[in-house]
Amino acid sequence: MVTDDRRNRGGIAARDARLAWWFVLPALGTILLVALFPLGWTLWESLHVHDLRMPWRGQPFVGLGNYAEVLADDRFWSALGHTLAFTAASVGLELGLGLILALALNRAYRGRGLVRAAVLIPWAIPTVVAALLWRFMFDSQAGIANAVAMKLGIMDEPLVWFISATAAWVPVILADVWKMTPFVTLLLLAGLQNIDASLYEAARIDGASAWQQFRHVTLPLLKPAILVALIFRTLDAFRVFDLIYVLTGGGPGTSTEPIALYTFNSLLQNLRFGYGSALSVVVFLVTFGLALVYIRWLGADLTGEGV
Amino acid sequence: MNRLKRYGPVVAIGLLVLATAFPFYWAIVSSFTPEARLFEAPSLWPGTPVLDHYRALFTERDFWVPIRNSLVVAGTTTLFCVSLGALCAYALARLEFRFKHVILGLILAVTMFPQISIVSPLYLLLRELGLINTYPGLILPYMTFAMPLTVWLLVGFFRQLPRELEEAAMVDGASRLQAFREIILPLALPGLATTAILTFVYSWNEFLFALSFTLGPERHTVPVAIALFRGQYQVPWGEILAAAVVATLPVAVLVLLFQRRIVQGLTAGAVKG
Amino acid sequence: MRSYGPRLPRRTGGALLLVMFLLAGCSEPTSGGRTEVVFPGSAVGSEAEVLQSQLARFMEAHPDIHVVQRRTPDAADQRHQLYVQWLNAGASQPDILQLDVIWTPEFAAAGWILPLEQFNADVGAFLPASVAADRWDGQLFAIPWFIDVGMLYWRRDLMDAPPRTLDELRRVAERSQKAGDVDYGFVWQGARYEGLVTVFLEHVGAFGGRLMGPDGSIEVDKEPAVRALTWMRDAVWNQGTVPRAALTWHEEETRFAFQNGQAAFMRNWPYAWSLLENDADSRVAGRVGIAPMPGMPGGTPTAALGGGQLAINANSDHPKAAWAVIEFLTRPEQMLERAGGVGQYPARAALYDDPRLADALGQDIEPLKAIVERARPRPVTPVYTQLSEILQIQLHRALTRQAEPREALERAARQMRELLRTVGLVEATADGD
Repeated sequence: MVTDDRRNRGGIAARDARLAWWFVLPALGTILLVALFPLGWTLWESLHVHDLRMPWRGQPFVGLGNYAEVLADDRFWSALGHTLAFTAASVGLELGLGLILALALNRAYRGRGLVRAAVLIPWAIPTVVAALLWRFMFDSQAGIANAVAMKLGIMDEPLVWFISATAAWVPVILADVWKMTPFVTLLLLAGLQNIDASLYEAARIDGASAWQQFRHVTLPLLKPAILVALIFRTLDAFRVFDLIYVLTGGGPGTSTEPIALYTFNSLLQNLRFGYGSALSVVVFLVTFGLALVYIRWLGADLTGEGV
Repeated sequence: MNRLKRYGPVVAIGLLVLATAFPFYWAIVSSFTPEARLFEAPSLWPGTPVLDHYRALFTERDFWVPIRNSLVVAGTTTLFCVSLGALCAYALARLEFRFKHVILGLILAVTMFPQISIVSPLYLLLRELGLINTYPGLILPYMTFAMPLTVWLLVGFFRQLPRELEEAAMVDGASRLQAFREIILPLALPGLATTAILTFVYSWNEFLFALSFTLGPERHTVPVAIALFRGQYQVPWGEILAAAVVATLPVAVLVLLFQRRIVQGLTAGAVKG
Repeated sequence: MRSYGPRLPRRTGGALLLVMFLLAGCSEPTSGGRTEVVFPGSAVGSEAEVLQSQLARFMEAHPDIHVVQRRTPDAADQRHQLYVQWLNAGASQPDILQLDVIWTPEFAAAGWILPLEQFNADVGAFLPASVAADRWDGQLFAIPWFIDVGMLYWRRDLMDAPPRTLDELRRVAERSQKAGDVDYGFVWQGARYEGLVTVFLEHVGAFGGRLMGPDGSIEVDKEPAVRALTWMRDAVWNQGTVPRAALTWHEEETRFAFQNGQAAFMRNWPYAWSLLENDADSRVAGRVGIAPMPGMPGGTPTAALGGGQLAINANSDHPKAAWAVIEFLTRPEQMLERAGGVGQYPARAALYDDPRLADALGQDIEPLKAIVERARPRPVTPVYTQLSEILQIQLHRALTRQAEPREALERAARQMRELLRTVGLVEATADGD
């Protein structure tokens, strides 16, 4: 019996592995087919000087020359700093708010379908339009933000948000949080739904308070969902472009310029394909590093055994 | 304390809904406001509502066409992403084979490059394949960059389903494939619905690829059409906001239809047995 | 003179002519044996209408050529991005390109547009400043289609004549503000974008300086430029003549402020005129005058030159047909029609002495002529966008008080010189004088 089982399991395992590859291939194939060339091309370009405005310079191979220039570039470091700060602030807020919202929406009450739909609306609006909306709202004359702040007595006179290096971040972060919290909420809500209600029962019987239930039942079981939310929100926030382009254009000066905007300028405005590609690879490396950190911290059991 | 417990969540929900809905309400109000008034002092209600912007949208700008294009592209992308992604995710979550981590990492790595840098070479590639200004020319790139989220999400969902489910079925003589189709998929519906919505909205709102890979109004999607409203200096706010309201409606409807699926939970007990 | 890039234009031009000659018999099979030319154009409003009717007339006169319109964004950045993408991929369409005046040297140096000597254009008929901006490496690469010039809009009901110096402008503006006639004295585009550089260019000219010397040397850190920037900054923060919000404004926001009667002076482009006069909501209709941006003692009134140019895609399959379209669109009749329908100023010098132009524009030609005569292009160099970006950032930093004008301009100049040095273009041509 035991020998049979082991043999069967070996057969099953082989069949499983083959089936697995059939399952994986379509998705993987599509991704590689479309992504491999552009990614490879970017890597290749990053190792050359390629300035479209000056084709007579050719495309000499410079190895890590572009990367050296990136690392020596003040504007790059500023942009990186802005991006990291923006990512930390908005993802942090989104995670916190998203969790609260998900918990609130997880209950049963009347009209919750409509509430859920309403809460998802901001995310459904095209980014460019959402950015325009927020720009409108923070306009110094016609904007509602100044009107409200003055009515509440916070300010005496209208503030011109977009000419202050610090104040300009407020509409930027608010707009991103407003737009993307629904995404996080949705992810966490789905994760919450997957938690077996009987676990809460058991905890309650054991005398756990609401907070303890949250800490010891909800949070651990929500880790996979939190991990996915964190990774993808971080990746997106790190590559933020449309939002800031429309809201502040990177200004005043370059105080709100994120790294994607700087890359856009280098690639498509200044036509420096080699340098812009190096910037992109650097962004890739940083986000890859961040993802690794997240996975180590939260997702050790993502495909392993455990739980 | 009891009152806090009872009314606390309701108030919290109320405030949150207000905060999220207000800018959109603002957009709706503004879309009914005549152009010149838009830059004057803000008010919570349009003085004399006008339908000019909406009329312009459908008579002058033929806004039905971009909506159709967006529906086709987003719908197809979602369909393919969810189906291919579900297969892939199931394999990664349940089946044993080599290089699992590498594949997961590869799939994720694809989304780590800024879109900006991918646009040019992707344009070259699509041009070689003759796919510029076609539906596949958008669907393929969208799938490539939406699939990672799909796969990662569904891996999580599938992992949370107890192994006993398939094992029970296979002991009864079902093949792995049958078990997947008949047992796992139905139970993973909430996850699939969530993923479908996420993918749909991502494709619906995507701008850079749509701008770069389409050439004319016959294939422009909604964000591109809205971007083209701008003249060299003029930004027709009224029409843009009207377009945004119109563009958000299909998504809102979709969400309303799906939201019950999203939060349909596992029936406890069916598994633990 | 250093030679760069010439291997492409001359020989390709000759080769193309030869090939076209050989292929004269066989046209690309499209729509019944006609040659198809793709023209990228606006999707928006009166400009689209005028263009369509002109192209229709062209096709009647040339039944063997079919012009297909491809809608492109009007927003400069987006159009630039699309052009770069198409041209870098070697796309043969669109055959004609609509270039912003500052893109010509960039596209020419990249080898993306054809030199136009082969078509024997009547170059002398066009405004010299525009033609200068369309030349690169001694060759002509684009034909001016319409021009934009920065100008001063003033309120006839608040003063009898436009100010002759910037200081006079400030005095009159303050007077109107104090009298409560207007909220703002003077509004201009102060957001961090290309428009800011054009505003700055006019102020620098007013103080007797310029952005770049004829030998390609950077002059943004010289005295006149520093004084100009200081004047601009003080107008915002010290005197309150210019509202702080203007530092986030583009053209439309300034237009709305002036149109709603909130400002005594506005610096803007010609497009605003017909909106100010004819818009149902305009509160200043009938009370607006135009004049050149004033100078200062020791300087000259200066108008920044903008506008659209038409060029031919170097990879186009039908350069001759494309040229026929361009030649047609840049004829005096078409330019007058554009002036009437869209309010865009023509690029032909002779039209400014033509009474028909006054009718078409619905304005007095005298002040207009004075402005156009003072038109000054921005530095003509392939790396202009990058130079401009450096300058924009420092200008905005100084204007938002993140830096002193002198320090900001010195930093800008340093970076601009460094850039020109690294790309080996120290001999870029300067703004025409």
